[in-house]
Amino acid sequence: MKFIIQLLGTIVVCFVLQSFLPWWTMAVGAFTVAYLVGNKGFPAFVAGFIGVAILWLGMAFYIDALTHSILTEKINRLLPLNAFVATLIVGGLVGGFASLTGSLIRDRR
Amino acid sequence: MKFVKIGLSLVITVALVYFLNRSWNFGKPIPPLGKFLDPFGGFWQNAEVKERENETLLLEGLTDEVIIHYDSLLIPHVFANNDEDLYLAQGYVTAKNRLWQMEFQTHAAAGRISEIIGAAALDYDRTQRRRGMVFAAENSLKSMEGDPVAKAMVDNYTRGINLHIESLSYKDLPLEYKLLNYSPEPWTNLKCGLLLKNMALTLNIGDKDLEMTNALKLFGKDVIELLWPDDEVVTDPIVDNTGNWKFEPVTLDSLPLALPDELITITPLEKPSKDVGSNNWAVSGSKTHTGSPILSNDPHLNLTLPSIWYVIHLQAPGVNVMGASLPGSPAVISGFNDSIAWGVTNAQRDLVDWFKIEFKDKSKSEYMSDGQWKAARKMIEKFSIKGSDPFYDTITYTHHGPVTFDESFHGDNELKSYAFRWIAHDPSEEILTFYKLNRGKNHDDYMEALNHYTSPAQNFVFASTSGDIAMRIQGKFPVRRKDEGKYVLDGTKTATEWQAYIPNDQNVMYKNPARGFVSSANQYPTDPTYPYYITATSYEAYRNRRINKLLTEMSDITPRDMMEMQLDNFNLKAAESLPAFLSYVDTTTFSQPQRNAYRILSAWDYENSIESEAASYYEAWWDSLFPLVWDEIKNSKVALDYPTAYQTIKLLKEKPELSFFDIVETPEKETARELVHQAFIKGVEKVETWKIEKKKEPHWADYKDTFIAHLLQGLPAFSYHVQHGGNHDIVNASNGRSGPSWRMVVSLEKTKVRAWGVYPGGQSGNPGSPFYNSMLNTWATGEHYQFQFEPEANKIKSVISSITLKPATK
Repeated sequence: MKFIIQLLGTIVVCFVLQSFLPWWTMAVGAFTVAYLVGNKGFPAFVAGFIGVAILWLGMAFYIDALTHSILTEKINRLLPLNAFVATLIVGGLVGGFASLTGSLIRDRR
Repeated sequence: MKFVKIGLSLVITVALVYFLNRSWNFGKPIPPLGKFLDPFGGFWQNAEVKERENETLLLEGLTDEVIIHYDSLLIPHVFANNDEDLYLAQGYVTAKNRLWQMEFQTHAAAGRISEIIGAAALDYDRTQRRRGMVFAAENSLKSMEGDPVAKAMVDNYTRGINLHIESLSYKDLPLEYKLLNYSPEPWTNLKCGLLLKNMALTLNIGDKDLEMTNALKLFGKDVIELLWPDDEVVTDPIVDNTGNWKFEPVTLDSLPLALPDELITITPLEKPSKDVGSNNWAVSGSKTHTGSPILSNDPHLNLTLPSIWYVIHLQAPGVNVMGASLPGSPAVISGFNDSIAWGVTNAQRDLVDWFKIEFKDKSKSEYMSDGQWKAARKMIEKFSIKGSDPFYDTITYTHHGPVTFDESFHGDNELKSYAFRWIAHDPSEEILTFYKLNRGKNHDDYMEALNHYTSPAQNFVFASTSGDIAMRIQGKFPVRRKDEGKYVLDGTKTATEWQAYIPNDQNVMYKNPARGFVSSANQYPTDPTYPYYITATSYEAYRNRRINKLLTEMSDITPRDMMEMQLDNFNLKAAESLPAFLSYVDTTTFSQPQRNAYRILSAWDYENSIESEAASYYEAWWDSLFPLVWDEIKNSKVALDYPTAYQTIKLLKEKPELSFFDIVETPEKETARELVHQAFIKGVEKVETWKIEKKKEPHWADYKDTFIAHLLQGLPAFSYHVQHGGNHDIVNASNGRSGPSWRMVVSLEKTKVRAWGVYPGGQSGNPGSPFYNSMLNTWATGEHYQFQFEPEANKIKSVISSITLKPATK
């Protein structure tokens, strides 16, 4: 249950932050949610990873569908790996590690 | 232990964010991946749809409301209530669609590309500064700002661009900024000057003085006359006004210049492509279906994305003009209004000289001029380089101009330096020409407008609803003595310098000639009775004659005929050379592919059409033949220039025994016959290899491969290959990398001016927009769009969105 809460919380908080602020504030959001919810290290990492990954992929898919993949195809040719995969990995990793840090700090005693 | 874990996790997180927030270069440049991939701010945000929301914006500095309607091609129709607002809106809307390109091109002009892409561009940047590009733009800016009309135009245009730049947050930045991880800097009036100098660089910097000096030393004067004559006597000059030049020309004390006698070991600067050129023509009402003149223009430039042109319709009290603008410069450059139309092709003329400078000593602080030591000026140029420390270069300026070559740049001898004199260094106010042309009502207005035009020299075609057609070659042209400007000049004597300029009213021009049309295609400008000496690096010799032949034969001309003529693929060069070439080939020893190629070529109709296989064989043959003919030049240890294709063919046909046709490396004595045969074998082999590699038949469009390249070194993801016919020396001058960058046809009917046009790209510079390449296929298939040229905002049809600009109350 706490896993789901952290995951959903990450999505909502990061969505709000990223709507107004630079991309890296997502790390602050994931960190804060993980700290408040208090999952153990590994589940916290996974929830943060999946949370941000869902948020980033969801947004990316939304734009991609809206714009008929006009740019996705071009960026796929530019990057060594698929744009969605790259987006998922980059967003997920930052979200995951930020969450792990949050959870570890809460668990410090 | 826990604290170690915490520390480790925290460090990883912070390091990850740091790593992903900046760009790197591991052999290949890597964008800041976090920023770039973030769908809330990164590249994803640059994906667009055709539909755009209507916007109302409050802008400071605006005096009245401006309405901009984007039509279905994303062409902005700008309706303003005064000139100030009009140019502010032009700057604003152009930046909205083309900002990255505008800044990139002006950075390129100013020698600042290293700031964006790193040390690889340093030599390019140094070249630009040593050519005096910024010096030229500053001089031009001074005269622009000295005229109140020009100043107001540029000031408002700049303000419009900056209002757009100020409104941008990271997520709105054009894609290329995100990719290369930098941001736009404020626009300045100087950048407008730089942009225009960039055009001068493309069009008017052609020279072969160093090469010709070497040729003179190596081969002597007779060979120069034979291989590089001043006038190849092609027929069909731009203006044939034989015997009617009724003015007293300016003369100089005609002491013959001492010709240089030396070999120059400098590596010359990379030349601009010789294939940039253009066509324009106008037919008078006597030859058209409607009885009104029709004007046509297609400038041939590098085919790039975002496109070099941006189509715009500008309307304010006293002006209603439409056509192609250059992003980065106010007004319309090639276009039409409700009374007149005009278009440009490049005027081939030598407007560059190299002066050999004698410095007093290694400090280069003084140089010899008429027996006295003159003080030189030193400029320290700083080059910021992405990923490295800045580089500093000291450039010495003489009164001629910058010393481009010295021991630190392309030269080998510290006291042997060459200063660069270029017409584009002079103060100029071209922007006023376009201001006036945009508002011109008749031939007199056109003539007055052109009096303000200095460089790059152009052949201005003209037509009006009142029925006039005209051609005028306009630029600032030095009065030259015979052979002056062909070779390097002695910089120690002021007598060798440009002493006077041809008065504007003595430039080559005429109006309403009896033949019923005017035309230009970068050929020799005029008949031999024109009283000034003319020289240039090269002249076009085929498109001009083809155009004139077609126009002479045509009558009852419709705009459609003119559009089709822009796509004419007839290869006059082939028609004049192939029969002779075929007769030189020894057919007795043919292999199967050679026999096949010979058969295809023999049956060719000389059309470089998309499907033609003969065109591929001919061009492959020609491309093999040319370097074989001029092996002496290709293999020379010092820089030399090639004769033209026209002269080469003429010599192959008329002087087959010429000593140059002998291949130096072989013991046999070759003549034109053997060379042509050898080139045929090589050409066929080239095509056969291509067929195997591509697993395709050698249709001309495939073999030629027209590539419209993104400005960033043709990034494949943002560039396109298209199927298109034509080639250099053909009216449809598309050679694969350069060609018709804008095609326009205007019918100047008294009741209504109608116009058609297209260019290989789209109105948006954003690779994520459907308008990035939306006109590309139309261009490739040879179609044109009819423009909506309506005087009233509410008459513009199929508007996809509107922007209302309102003055902000402070």
